[in-house]
Amino acid sequence: MLLAMLAVLAAILTAAMAMQYVLGEIPCPLCLLQRAAMFGCCFGLIQELRLRESERGTGLALIFALLLLVISVRQTLLDIYPRPGHDYIGSAVLGLHLPVWSVIIAMALLLGLGVRLALFGGGRTTKTGEEALPRALVQPLAIYVVVICAINFLSVLAQCGLDQCHTFGYRLFQ
Amino acid sequence: MMAAVFATLLLAFVLDLAGLSRLAVSCLLVSLALCAGLFLWEVYSPDYGFRMPWLQL
Repeated sequence: MLLAMLAVLAAILTAAMAMQYVLGEIPCPLCLLQRAAMFGCCFGLIQELRLRESERGTGLALIFALLLLVISVRQTLLDIYPRPGHDYIGSAVLGLHLPVWSVIIAMALLLGLGVRLALFGGGRTTKTGEEALPRALVQPLAIYVVVICAINFLSVLAQCGLDQCHTFGYRLFQ
Repeated sequence: MMAAVFATLLLAFVLDLAGLSRLAVSCLLVSLALCAGLFLWEVYSPDYGFRMPWLQL
C-alpha cells in the first residue's frame, strides 16, 4: 500500500513536470509549495518503507499531507472566485484545475494513511506484507523521487533565482 | 526563499539516502518551516491580511 502511494505520488509529480516542460505551464508560487509538500509526503513514505520498527514516516507524511491540503484549499478558493485582476491561469485535467486535484490528492493521502494506521497500526509484529518488500523494489523508486526533486530544485533556480517566484518565464534565461 | 525550500528538501533526501536519518528529518523539518512561512508570506495582503473579502457566501 505504501509503495503504491509512493509510486502514485511520483507519477503525479512527474506529470506536473511534464505539464511544465512540455506544455509550458510555469508553476505559480503556491503550485511550487504544493509540489514541495508532495515531496515531503514522499520522504515520509520512503522513511516508512525503510524503518521497520517506527511509524515516524507516517507521521511525517501526515504533516505534509495536511500542509498540501491547506495550500491547495487556499488556492482553490482563489480559483473559484478570483480577486479582480488575478484570474487563474492554467489548464484543466479531466475538467478539474490542478489545485482542485491537489485537494483530492491531499485528502486521499490523509485517508490512505489513516486507514493504514487503523488497520495495521498495532504492534509492529503485525505483518502488513510491506516488511517483506525487498530493497530492490523500494530503492529505485526512492532514487527516482530524489532525482525529480533535484530537477525541481534546478527548475526553481532557473525560474526564480533567489528571488520571488511570480514569473511567467525562466528568469535565468531572460 | 523558494530555492531554500527545495534546497533543504533535496538535502533531506540526499542525507536520508546516505543513511543520516536524524539529520535528514531535521532538514525536512526546516523545509517544512520554510514552506509554511513562505505560504503565509505569499497569501498575505497589506490590504486584506489573510482574509479573502471578495468571497461572499
